[in-house]
Amino acid sequence: MDKPVLVIGGGVAGIQASLDLADRGLKVHLIEKSPSIGGVMAQLDKTFPTMDCSICILAPKMIECSRHPNITIHTLSTVKNVEGNEGNFTVTVNKQPRSVDESKCTGCGICSEKCPTKVKDEWQEGLTERKAISIMFPQAVPLTAYIDRENCLYFQKGVCQVCSKVCPAGAIDYTQTEKDIDIDVSSIIVATGFQEYDPIELKEYGYKRYPDVITAMEFERLVCASGPTHGHLNRPSDGKIAKRIAFIQCVGSRSQQKGYPYCSSVCCMYATKEAVLIKEHDPDSEVTIFYLDLKVFGQGFQEFVNRADSHYGVEYVRGRPGEIRFDPITKNLKVWYEDTAKGAAAEKEVDLVILCSNMEARPENKPLAEALGLELDEWGFFQPKDSITNPIETQKDGIFMCGCCHGPRDIPESVAEASGTAACAAEVARRYA
Amino acid sequence: MKYALYLGCTVQSEQFGFEASVREIMPKLGVELVDMNNTSCCGFPALSSVSKTAWLYLTARNLAVAEEMGMPVLPLCNGCHLSFIEAKHYLAEDSDLKAKVDNRLAKENLSYSGDVEIVHLLEVLHDKIGLKKIHESVTKPLEGIKIAAHPGCHAIRPSDLQYVDDSENPVKLDDLIRATGAETFDYPEKIDCCGSQLAVTSGRSTLKIAGEKLQKVVSYGFDGLTTTCPFCFKMYDGRQRAIMGTMKDRTLNIPVFYYTQLLGLALESDPDKLGLMLNQSPVDALVERIMEK
Amino acid sequence: MTSRDKSDFNTKELEEAIRKMHSEVCDQCGKCTSACPVTKEIEGFNPRQLVTKVALGQIDELLAEEAIWTCTTCLKCRERCPEEISPYDIILVLRNLAYRRGLNYPVGYDDFIKGINERGYISSPQQMRTRDGERVSRVNLGLPEPQVPMRMNAFKGNLEELLKAGND
Repeated sequence: MDKPVLVIGGGVAGIQASLDLADRGLKVHLIEKSPSIGGVMAQLDKTFPTMDCSICILAPKMIECSRHPNITIHTLSTVKNVEGNEGNFTVTVNKQPRSVDESKCTGCGICSEKCPTKVKDEWQEGLTERKAISIMFPQAVPLTAYIDRENCLYFQKGVCQVCSKVCPAGAIDYTQTEKDIDIDVSSIIVATGFQEYDPIELKEYGYKRYPDVITAMEFERLVCASGPTHGHLNRPSDGKIAKRIAFIQCVGSRSQQKGYPYCSSVCCMYATKEAVLIKEHDPDSEVTIFYLDLKVFGQGFQEFVNRADSHYGVEYVRGRPGEIRFDPITKNLKVWYEDTAKGAAAEKEVDLVILCSNMEARPENKPLAEALGLELDEWGFFQPKDSITNPIETQKDGIFMCGCCHGPRDIPESVAEASGTAACAAEVARRYA
Repeated sequence: MKYALYLGCTVQSEQFGFEASVREIMPKLGVELVDMNNTSCCGFPALSSVSKTAWLYLTARNLAVAEEMGMPVLPLCNGCHLSFIEAKHYLAEDSDLKAKVDNRLAKENLSYSGDVEIVHLLEVLHDKIGLKKIHESVTKPLEGIKIAAHPGCHAIRPSDLQYVDDSENPVKLDDLIRATGAETFDYPEKIDCCGSQLAVTSGRSTLKIAGEKLQKVVSYGFDGLTTTCPFCFKMYDGRQRAIMGTMKDRTLNIPVFYYTQLLGLALESDPDKLGLMLNQSPVDALVERIMEK
Repeated sequence: MTSRDKSDFNTKELEEAIRKMHSEVCDQCGKCTSACPVTKEIEGFNPRQLVTKVALGQIDELLAEEAIWTCTTCLKCRERCPEEISPYDIILVLRNLAYRRGLNYPVGYDDFIKGINERGYISSPQQMRTRDGERVSRVNLGLPEPQVPMRMNAFKGNLEELLKAGND
């Protein structure tokens, strides 16, 4: 009897690995620390270079995970401890209380509507607010509400309880507690993904100082139809429709001071994608991408950029802007840059600046690596057994990794790696069956 | 609080208003300034441009004097302050260089260990004396007056060697302006250079750089400009007429003060003691307005 | 006093200093140039291009240009360079080199150096003009005597030797 496989991380990589394993008859425990699987891909509007709607191609896979008889999804869960070796790992998983009975909740959302407490919505990148009880996003899997106890009036002050009063299914359960469960698995796949580098330390760009300087993830939510502005480019400061937009590449990348020396791998492409999105929304908009090099190494990438330039009219300027200035009279932003192809310092007035920020390792990698007995690299990413010959194996037999947990890469690469790790895990399961 | 007061060339030979106002207000805020003997030019920018070692020697000898006095040194000029900080860093980093400088210092019976503490006027006012004490000491708040802050490049950069204030969003001089009761607000050109170092090679460009900033300051509706650097003050105040001529703009006649002069007025010091008669920009109307309240 | 002996120059240390500034790491992003106040005013001044020339070994060309003397030392370039290159520091070394080789430098610097040699400071305290056209001295304002080096001979000797060729 094959032991199950543990997949840590419910983003597209973890989902793909889980489905591959489940389809070949192996049981999978998919561990996800947030209230829903989906990861960053669920937050994106479109994917490059095909311009597919991101959640549209991800959601069917998410649902398949939840329906697949061989997959058990554990949300609000993290790996606390790991004992044993390849073929025989005992993993202690810590499960935080959802405060809602998953078997009863229908995902109707009334609890959220009536909840009086508003909190910054992290899934919407802080652009809008959610309630203390909420469903993470419309396509969440499981489609179940979750109480953020730190901001819930009942858990903080012992009052309210409106959600339990209005819930038609009687699904609210304040008595749930955190618990640890032990799972025996034959192998482990790490798929914990990445987080966006916070460009606040690049003070010359004025992030958080000027509201109309935003990061790429914030822009994805802005331009997405399910975002706070329903896809209209209302800029944060005054809601004015942004018509002149600048993208700044290599923010926190390729830098010896502040940020990281490594390239983020995806920014050139996603900036082009976002630029094309803007042009599709509004052909009269002026979009400029300030780049250092254009990393267009994948299938169809160069052609995509060529199209963005010649067909859509996106302007590409080679130069890293030195400063973003706010004009207190016009309330617009000025980008100071040098067009290095011409050798001339110039400034460009825009309505909105998008900082294409690097991918950095999640801080949760650290305790996870400790529990797994692995060492992270200097940037906090997981390390391969050998970067050329064993790129998705870790230093420990039976532990594999895929996706951005070991460095920046795009969705196709993450998915391919995920299938690779699934094959590796299946082989281990077979050997120890 | 005791500091060895290092004047530097520009203050000692010309910018008496700065020195006078500093000497006038510091005792009122509980700070004792001790004069230094045996000092010299810090070497910035002329010596640093022609010979690094000669420059480091000039700066180090002043630091050695401060060490002898056993107290932190307060240079009044942004340029001198940066010179001191850079020298302390380079001499700590490079023992060969330090040996060369030590040899020279020994000929003057001086020795430099590298322990000296260097403070900036903004740090003394904002961090050591503190905004609360300044606010409490003010007896004549400069109400209804909008003053633009110009901290000056060498007070805020480079951030890897010194941290007097944030290099992109400096606020200490703004806080200090508010502590006098006056108003101020952030403006994008605050961190821009006055251009004074260009004067040696291209007078006209210097005036243009300074003039463009003054145009912005005037356009935002400020009543005056303040700084804590004698080079910057010399540009905006002493050369204001030349700036107006080069920019062909008569509206750039804005009052320019040393911050310690403004603070002195708020502490009800006699304007003559603050050296205000030496300001070349049109300060009279504003001073009268302040005195009348 | 300020002998700039054109014959014998030990500029090796300066050239070594330039090498250590890693101009070859520059990825030509232009952040320095975009913030530079002098670039906007003076044609031919461009910190990125200056660093490129240094990286390409075109130092002699640079030393002959006036550009290296027109930096206003605002330090924005040093502050912002992602590769931790400082065009400002490179410029200072180039200036030192140019001086050592007896090339052009601003006339004003001779006066500064002369002044420092004579009295420890660029100039003696002046009689400063008030707004009303009067003259005011340090003494008039109750300011103390100017500070000066005490051992002037040793001071002058030090300065002279340090400024002489070869004593970098």
